[in-house]
Amino acid sequence: MKIIVAIKQVPSRDAQVRIAPSGNWIDETDLEWAMNEPDAHALEEALQLKEKHDGEVVVVSAGPERVAATIREALAKGADGAIHILCDDLGARDALGVAKLLAAAIQPEDPDLVLTGLQSEDLGLGQTGVILAELLGLPHATLILHVEKIETGIKVKRELEEGWFQSIEMPLPALVTMQSGGNKLRYSTLMGIKRAKTKDLRTVTAVELGVDAAPVVTLEQISAPKKQKSTQILTGSPKEAATALVEKLKTEARVL
Amino acid sequence: MMSLLPTLAEPRHFALWERALFVALAGASVYGFWQRFGPILSRVLDSKKDPGFRLFPAGKRVRQFVWEVLLQAKVIRERPLAGFAHALVFWAFCVFALVTLNHCAAIFGLAFLDPAGRVGRIYFAIAALFALACTVAIAGLFVRRFLIQPKWLGELSWESGLIALLIFTLMATYLAGFFVPAQANAVRALWWAHALTLLAFLPLIPHTKHLHLLLSPFSVFLSRGAFAQIPPLSGDEDFGLVTGRDLTRIVSLQAYSCVECGRCMEHCPANATGKELNPKEIILGLRGYLNEFGPKSEEPLLGKYASQQAAFECTTCGACEFQCPAGIEHVPILVGLRRGAVNTGAWNDAHGSKLFLALEKGSNALGLSTNERDRFIEKNALPLFDGTQEYCLWLGCMGAYDPRGREIVLALVRIMRHLRVTFGVLRKEKCSGDPVRRLGNDLLFQQLAESNLEALAQYRVKKIVAICPHCVRTIQEDWKVFGTPPEVEHHSEFLARHIEKLRVPPVPLLGPGKERIVFHDPCYLGRYRNVYDEPRQIAALAGKLVEAPRSRERSFCCGAGGGLAFLGEEKGDRVSHVRAAELAATGAGVIAAACPFCNTMFRDALAARGDGAPELMDIAQIAARGLSLEE
Amino acid sequence: MSLFLVLEESGGKISRLSWETLAAAQRLTSAEEIVAVVVGADTAALAAEAAAKPVGKVVRVEHPLLERYTADGYCAALHQLIKSRGPAQWVVFPHTYQVRDYAPALACRMGQVLIGDVTGIEGGAVFTRQLLQGRLNGSVRHHENGPCLVSVQAGAFRAGEDDAHANAEPAPIEVFTPTLDPAQIRTRPSDPYRESAQTVDLGSAQRIVSVGRGIKGQENLPLIEALAQALDAELAASRPICDSGWLPLERQVGSSGHTVAPRLYLAIGISGAIQHLVGMKGSECIVAINKDPDAPIFEVADYGIVGDLFEVVPALTEAVKMAK
Repeated sequence: MKIIVAIKQVPSRDAQVRIAPSGNWIDETDLEWAMNEPDAHALEEALQLKEKHDGEVVVVSAGPERVAATIREALAKGADGAIHILCDDLGARDALGVAKLLAAAIQPEDPDLVLTGLQSEDLGLGQTGVILAELLGLPHATLILHVEKIETGIKVKRELEEGWFQSIEMPLPALVTMQSGGNKLRYSTLMGIKRAKTKDLRTVTAVELGVDAAPVVTLEQISAPKKQKSTQILTGSPKEAATALVEKLKTEARVL
Repeated sequence: MMSLLPTLAEPRHFALWERALFVALAGASVYGFWQRFGPILSRVLDSKKDPGFRLFPAGKRVRQFVWEVLLQAKVIRERPLAGFAHALVFWAFCVFALVTLNHCAAIFGLAFLDPAGRVGRIYFAIAALFALACTVAIAGLFVRRFLIQPKWLGELSWESGLIALLIFTLMATYLAGFFVPAQANAVRALWWAHALTLLAFLPLIPHTKHLHLLLSPFSVFLSRGAFAQIPPLSGDEDFGLVTGRDLTRIVSLQAYSCVECGRCMEHCPANATGKELNPKEIILGLRGYLNEFGPKSEEPLLGKYASQQAAFECTTCGACEFQCPAGIEHVPILVGLRRGAVNTGAWNDAHGSKLFLALEKGSNALGLSTNERDRFIEKNALPLFDGTQEYCLWLGCMGAYDPRGREIVLALVRIMRHLRVTFGVLRKEKCSGDPVRRLGNDLLFQQLAESNLEALAQYRVKKIVAICPHCVRTIQEDWKVFGTPPEVEHHSEFLARHIEKLRVPPVPLLGPGKERIVFHDPCYLGRYRNVYDEPRQIAALAGKLVEAPRSRERSFCCGAGGGLAFLGEEKGDRVSHVRAAELAATGAGVIAAACPFCNTMFRDALAARGDGAPELMDIAQIAARGLSLEE
Repeated sequence: MSLFLVLEESGGKISRLSWETLAAAQRLTSAEEIVAVVVGADTAALAAEAAAKPVGKVVRVEHPLLERYTADGYCAALHQLIKSRGPAQWVVFPHTYQVRDYAPALACRMGQVLIGDVTGIEGGAVFTRQLLQGRLNGSVRHHENGPCLVSVQAGAFRAGEDDAHANAEPAPIEVFTPTLDPAQIRTRPSDPYRESAQTVDLGSAQRIVSVGRGIKGQENLPLIEALAQALDAELAASRPICDSGWLPLERQVGSSGHTVAPRLYLAIGISGAIQHLVGMKGSECIVAINKDPDAPIFEVADYGIVGDLFEVVPALTEAVKMAK
């Protein structure tokens, strides 16, 4: 079974984000980077499928030079090979543009299954996987927690709203976008890192892939949201405080 | 005076057939010995060489050998009565070396100690004294093992009984020689009895734990050189102790040196609270593995002879290694087994994975955002280190994120300000790597150590003071593999140097019923760093010190070390609760701690004891109470 | 140039989020230009509901193959609708799991890119959406050339009261039957199911009410249970409570228990020791009730009440019930 996992390198969760002087993205100097967490779960699912059914896992990632570190991490965790789409202007492309890049690199690989993360921790669009499926002509499912191989293809467990789930069957080849938390991530090991050194890591440029398209949507400006996180202590008698709290939970936090 | 000494009777003349018989029996005895010892020796020598092992400078080794082997200091100190008895048996054996040699030479007419001569008489007399002492000692030890049956000696073994009998017989036949007239046939009979006992003893040595007679002096001499010394990995294929091929000569030698005394087991906190881990069984398990599979085997070490679960129940407190009189170094072995499981990904523990993933992505072992640390620094206006201050105050994960750890840091900060000692905290700090180091994750540890060393060099940090003995140990010792760490000390050492200034104004009593204070020695400050008095000096500022039954180098672990604080629920009794009960039973109103992990573990354990439990304070908090409120 | 407003169903009626989406649509264009769309195998009732709202017309996209939601079915059907009844300037969706599953593919088919999960309309074709998990906002512009597809975040717009519209004529309803082939539908979904109700699943609970040592005794737990019930929340506890056996171990949150990240976490009588914090710090909204103003839990809470939980909790239970 040949599985391709599309992964993205994003600013680490802990990173202090500042708006760049240009105003249309964050300042990337001194930023620490990490593998997008849903993508890490996609990779884990792929590795578990490989361990169960034999096969090959190849990761694909688009981005500048620094993305190579995240790709090597994926190799260290157990992927067999990798394709780095070297691209310095990823931010200038929209979801369709990025998906076209990935599709161009993935199509010749002729995979049985393509896994992506549900959405990225920076842009959070949640679309690249779905568009990629459309471009590759593959059936797809999103928000998947678990992938199981069956005779007629795969059976996946999908998360629905409010604690409901659904299972979906589809033939291979197919594309699935993975939600975080469906499986337990494995840690990087010394053995994995040592083995990764000998694995196949190919670099291809966006130009070589022949993908170029003017974006349909562009991110024009970044701004800080008006409210910063701080603790609001609600005062007054127990009844007053309770009423105020319920009001806040309804209208401000919108969790009721 | 010479005539007062009894004379040892010896046969004057031996027949040819006697000589032939002796040669044949001796041959058989040596053959029997070698048949067993030879393979053992070759298994040790066939094991991998220890990377980084340096025989020289040998001064320390010689001193340790004299102290531990010749003077039997550890044997006696840690178990006085039984230890002294053993020492007597050992010294008797040493003295008997010449006697035995002379005895065997005698049948060929080559005896060199004349029982009638001056030297001979004195020597034999001294040997007789030792023989007497040995006889009493061995009888006592027999009674202890077979009648009293302390549980850490394990199940009764016939071989121990047999050896005791043989030793007794050796001594008895020797002593009897003083009471038999020189001409009697009894002398010849005694000679043969003694000789046969010797020849029976020799092949038994490698078949029993008495192999330690030969091996443990070497184990002690060839030790790794420092307490709980974790060896470096060597080369691209070294992941720790995975299979037999990873066992090194030191490990194999130590595995065969075990005397099964059970001192390690007796002091192990995991073993004391019903866990599977038994340090003695770990070592004997390696011996069993070597006997069955040998040092070149691909069979996993964590399998038939040792369990993964047991290996991960160790807090690395070091009590086992500290106690061992045979020179066995348990901590590197346990960490080695863990390395083998973690570096290859064979360890599949939910909490462990969580810890590793938190440190892969983030900076601290708790998985919290660095914002929390930044806010703590900001809120308390802690100065940032900029190269101009004397000390870098290392917060550590507990000091930066744990509410109790923060209180300790703030107490120390107050004191440092009062002492007008300049300090700063690092803007960004990553976990020192202690938990992952002890759990055997070398990849992560290297990343953390190198990253921290780089940051410290960048800020030109020369001296570090830290509230956590784990950080102190890791920075000073474990980081050395990857660079040169700055000087680092624990806050107890720092405070002790300034103690005179801390006496004025005097620290008030901590409260009614709180006059007596018991100090709990943290494993990583006491056994690992040899710091016992400095924190006591600080604790004593506020009252009268009392000692727990197990204190100083015998201190009983709080249960958090070895990365276990991050591994979730433990089986059996909680180590921290057992220790808290022991500390509370001293009747002290205050428990003084010097490690944020001990603080956290005891906080929970004492809360479970309800009201009336002693108060828990860090020594920094005790000392800070003497300062006026403005500071 | 019209606006297609794709409505979704919840429990046999149009979902609340759909009406919020209508409110957003009303900011983009006038009511007559809004074409409300309902999709399914039998959409008569839904269409009637939609027709009573201020929209220009209602289209029932009906086909037996649309009885169950599938991405292939919905994409094909809606694509055909927009092509035949267009040209469309806007296609507006509620941002639900279902929309996330097909709308990007639909946009791709139309040569467009969906602007998803918007929280604001800045005028023209510029929308606000959140980045970096809510840490920053971004303004996204749609360039000319074809319809602009937008999905709207829950709670970003307030569903209109529409009382003024109540007595107006209902909008006209049309039926559109797309051409669909069973071979086109490549996925086979099952009926939705819930996991076993017996086991406590703190990990997927959306709301959790957690109790700590402040509760003092097991006999006081009903107080907390009442609040949990009113909030439709799972009950959890810090370690001392489980240690004492007042609640089972499977309800323990913390470093040696569960790690949870619900939308709402209420920490009652919990001081906030690190072992507990690491288990719940990822919660979206944290509320703390504790009588100690210095309790560390307040450091991580979004909202806090400093007071006696024996007074605050009953008051809160009442307030929650009243707000339902």
